[in-house]
Amino acid sequence: MTAEERKLYVKIQATEQMKQLITDYYIGAKTAEGTDKPICWITSGGPVEFLIAMDVIPIYPENHGAMCGASRMSVELAEVAERMGFSRDLCSYARGDIGSAVTKGGPIGGLPKPDFLLACNNICGTVFKWYQELARYFDVPMFLMDTPFIHKIKTEHAAEYVRQQCLELVSFLEEQTGKEFLEERFAEVAMLSVEAVDLWKQVLVTAEHKPSPFTCFDAFIHMAPIVTLRGTQQVVEYYKLLKDEMLQRIEEGVSAIPEEKYRLIWDNIPIWYEMRNLGNLFASNNACLVADTYTTAWAVDIRIDEPLTSMADAYTKIYLNISIDIMIEQLLNLIQRYDADGLVMHSNRSCKPYSLGQYDLAHEVTDKTGKPVLIVEADMTDSRVYSEAQTRERVEAFIESLG
Amino acid sequence: MGDALAKLMELRDDPFSMARGWKERTGGKAVGFFCCLASEEIIHAAGALPVRITGENRVTSKSGAHLQSYCCSLARTSLDMALTGDLDFIDGTVFVHTCDTMQRLSDIWRLNAGYAFHGDVVLPVRFEGDAALEYMREELASFRQRVSDNIGPVDDSALVESIKLYNRNRELLSELYRLRREDPGIIPSDEALWLVASSALMEKSEHNALLEGVIEDLKGASSDGSDAKVRLFAAGSVMDQWDFLKMVEDVGGTIVDDDFCTGHRYFDAEVPVDVDPIEGIARRLADRGSCPCKYLPSRDRAGCLLDRAGEAGARGAVFFQFKFCDPHSFDYPYIKKALDEEGIPSLHLEIEHDSVSTEQLRTRVEALLETIRGC
Ligand code: SF4
Ligand code: SF4
Repeated sequence: MTAEERKLYVKIQATEQMKQLITDYYIGAKTAEGTDKPICWITSGGPVEFLIAMDVIPIYPENHGAMCGASRMSVELAEVAERMGFSRDLCSYARGDIGSAVTKGGPIGGLPKPDFLLACNNICGTVFKWYQELARYFDVPMFLMDTPFIHKIKTEHAAEYVRQQCLELVSFLEEQTGKEFLEERFAEVAMLSVEAVDLWKQVLVTAEHKPSPFTCFDAFIHMAPIVTLRGTQQVVEYYKLLKDEMLQRIEEGVSAIPEEKYRLIWDNIPIWYEMRNLGNLFASNNACLVADTYTTAWAVDIRIDEPLTSMADAYTKIYLNISIDIMIEQLLNLIQRYDADGLVMHSNRSCKPYSLGQYDLAHEVTDKTGKPVLIVEADMTDSRVYSEAQTRERVEAFIESLG
Repeated sequence: MGDALAKLMELRDDPFSMARGWKERTGGKAVGFFCCLASEEIIHAAGALPVRITGENRVTSKSGAHLQSYCCSLARTSLDMALTGDLDFIDGTVFVHTCDTMQRLSDIWRLNAGYAFHGDVVLPVRFEGDAALEYMREELASFRQRVSDNIGPVDDSALVESIKLYNRNRELLSELYRLRREDPGIIPSDEALWLVASSALMEKSEHNALLEGVIEDLKGASSDGSDAKVRLFAAGSVMDQWDFLKMVEDVGGTIVDDDFCTGHRYFDAEVPVDVDPIEGIARRLADRGSCPCKYLPSRDRAGCLLDRAGEAGARGAVFFQFKFCDPHSFDYPYIKKALDEEGIPSLHLEIEHDSVSTEQLRTRVEALLETIRGC
């Protein structure tokens, strides 16, 4: 970090703990490879609580994809998959992951080999095809948790279908691990998960404060534990720490960027390889990205009294599994809650469920609130389709237009 | 060319003329649909005409305000057709859950195209297992209810009649493919595939009558020595590129069997009639082996396609798909590998409706045929 960058950001103290947490997690996972501790690759929206309750180590290729992106290693990995015949137009997480699986490439020397796979299509149809390929490549069994898309209302039969699959998943895991599924243990894990998710939400809403104690670029980094380790005690402890730090910032009048003049909302997955530059670009223009639609995806409600049913419900209702109308409501809500001046949308070539519909969303937002929307064309990890100069120009013009 | 075939071929240049004519004659409603998993029988039993929309070759003018350029051209051009008024004859549309693009297109369509009826059929992605089949039945029953409420009553007897009509159509199209496997020279691939595609664009009873005529004529026909063309198997989603198919025939190839959703997948498997009609429709959908959007863990798609290519005597394969089509792009490397292992040469073509260049494709098809002949 240069001296100038340091001035643009106040460093979050808890970052060191978070890094340690994630490093320990990956070291633990890597050393488990080849032992009798089962490893399962799971999609980011997958019901990880089942795995934790069965002492299975969850591995998130998407989190790894973000890491590869941030360390600018995604392109070389994607190229491996492209040489295998996978189209350049497919999700770059999938391409990068397949490339890394085959070559053990990436910042941590690849992910530990899975014993089985758990794909949940509440985020996209891509994960199901991608995991099918992994199942073939590693020759391991796969479980598909199929969460019917919600166009307007969630139907009873869809809820029942997902609940049934939770039961099937339990049998699948019992078979794979040779262990018995204990409901009390599951309830415990679910409770920890609820607690962590709740704390994470509390962290996120501290950004309602003016000036905001953190930006969504911080949220993108600090979301790693809620994605990879929810359901464990450590994560609860970690988010308590982070929340306290944010509250303390508010108390002491510390803001994330030195001079918050504009408050913006971010839509879609971060542009991982460009995070720092973008963060600086906005900060140097006195714009704070106070909230986003991405990190809130993990802010779901789970009821303690009926963990299984409410879990099935929560996992079906996440942001990418709902229709544009419901997305509009949620976006308008975010804009209002955080008193935002505008919206920045990352039109992400990799992610069709997230990006198709953005033009309509943008139009609706401006129509209903009068607030401007900037659409940036990029890809979350494939930097070959990104133009830094063009983005810079457009961001600056956008902020200027905010007056 | 027999009369029935000539009549059908005439319609190819103006595919929606049949639906327009039908509406004028009957005063009935036309319902657009995209995916061959849409249960046309239910729409048909309500007295409406299901009409398949598969995009068309055109430069879009209005859909660019709603869909990014990295969206497949099937979705982009279909939406453009709706927004420019080219689909003004339809009274509603039905979207079936297939890929992420279709899922979002449904919302965008509903918010912008403004037809009276909008039906989403959120079929499961898993097509195996009791829970999935139970959910599928419920979803189909709920769709039937929505059709009944908005288009016209769908009673059991009408549904059974429609199912029989559709099954008959499937039987006739299977017969067509069987005849072509025996002697592909009796009818070129572009015409054979139009016989399937046209089925989803006109009233089934009319199509059946015409098909019967075509098949009658083909049974009598034989193409002495015309089996000289190289037999190919083709796979992809929608095949609506007639010039491309004609070119394949011109350069000496012929597509004997396929895995297109406007081809074999459209008529694959029949609805069992000895069970409740909704149950029957659900069973047929699950029986159809080969959609890349659906999870059928006990079936190996590549293996099935290889078997069919073998039965058709295919010496090469063509993957024909739309750019930005995720489900097909994901399956391609795995199927290609299976073909390679069997020593079957193949070709992967990606097109977009707004920039089709048959000439460019010609060189590549010729190269494939040369490889095969050299084998
Ligand atoms: S980036 Fe989008 S397409 Fe890729 S795995 Fe995530 S949700 Fe799916
Ligand atoms: S399956 Fe492929 S061609 Fe069909 S709508 Fe989806 S992306 Fe487009």
